[in-house]
Amino acid sequence: MKKVYIASRVLVGAGLAAVIAACSTTPDRIESLENARTLVSQVEGSPRAGVAALNVTEARKALAEANRLAENRGKMNDIEFQSTVASLNAQIANEKIKTAQAREEIEKGTAERQAVLLQSREREAQARALEAERRSQEAREATLRAQALEQELADLKAKKTDRGVVLTLGDVLFETGRANLQPGAYSTVDRLAQALKEAPGRTVLIEGHTDSVGSAEFNQRLSENRAESVERALLERGVAANQIRTVGKGETTPIASNDTAGGRQQNRRVEMIFQEDRAIASDE
Amino acid sequence: MNKLSLAIASAGIVGILAGCGGVSEVTKERVARATSVVQQSQQAVGNSEAGAIEMQRAREYSEAAQNELNKKNADAAERLAIQAQLSAELAVAKSESAQARKAADELTASIETLRQEAARSQTP
Repeated sequence: MKKVYIASRVLVGAGLAAVIAACSTTPDRIESLENARTLVSQVEGSPRAGVAALNVTEARKALAEANRLAENRGKMNDIEFQSTVASLNAQIANEKIKTAQAREEIEKGTAERQAVLLQSREREAQARALEAERRSQEAREATLRAQALEQELADLKAKKTDRGVVLTLGDVLFETGRANLQPGAYSTVDRLAQALKEAPGRTVLIEGHTDSVGSAEFNQRLSENRAESVERALLERGVAANQIRTVGKGETTPIASNDTAGGRQQNRRVEMIFQEDRAIASDE
Repeated sequence: MNKLSLAIASAGIVGILAGCGGVSEVTKERVARATSVVQQSQQAVGNSEAGAIEMQRAREYSEAAQNELNKKNADAAERLAIQAQLSAELAVAKSESAQARKAADELTASIETLRQEAARSQTP
């Protein structure tokens, strides 16, 4: 660039120089001509030279003229002028080649960008479809689990009441006068625990009841302890604490007469009331 | 381009006549055209950094051509006009190629970003 600029300075005074130049001798090596030769051969070698065909042709023509003048000991400023014309045309050609190259890249890149966008959209759609499938699978499983609890309760002869589904654990499942569960209750508790674990939205209220034998305070405590004993058995089997509530009703809620042995046995019981989705009914 | 080569071809003859003072209308027109090409190129290049030096040089050539024309140096005026025009053309070519290069590089970078985002979203 600087050389071209120097050449231009030389040419600014061309009018005067022309007269003098006629007599001056031509040096063996002319800087601007060497530059022109290098630049022209560079663009000629480019595979994209076609995009700047006119500039390449002009550059060649001017360089050929500069070479001819140099060989024939022509005027220095004529040689430099032709060299400058050759160099400028070669440089213009070079810039046009670079522009064409960048535009090719843009064309390819635009298609590539489109492909990448399309790909990622497809992947997103796939992910969404998988997620939807997973959710509906979960929903199906939840329904099956809920049905499993209903099935267990039906098998265990639970009764549907307006308080929910009520399952009664009879007196024989407890040690006499004590709160501990007898081994005979284990299979029922196992099945209920499993069904409750599979339906985490369901809750159970455990109510202890006694007959009227003994003091009311003793019976109250016994009923609480029996309800808690069932709760403990469920917790030990992995049921979540927030699915269970307990209450002792003592001898206040008989379901049969306390005057006969048969009636008293019916009154000694633990009721498990299964409710929908955590809506635990009032304890009263 | 034919006019340009004609100008170059006639440069030798003009050179001999230059000393004699008479400046033809053709020379005046050529210098005027070079001046207007330089002005138009200035608008095309705008504030672009690429091509700024060439644009400056084109203006210098153009002014020098006018000076030589005023001094009735037809040969020098014609040559300077040609160089003014070529320099202006180079300035435009440079600003265009810089613009295209920038757009291509930005596109490449945006594709790379998209790829990285896609790779990230694949591994949640």
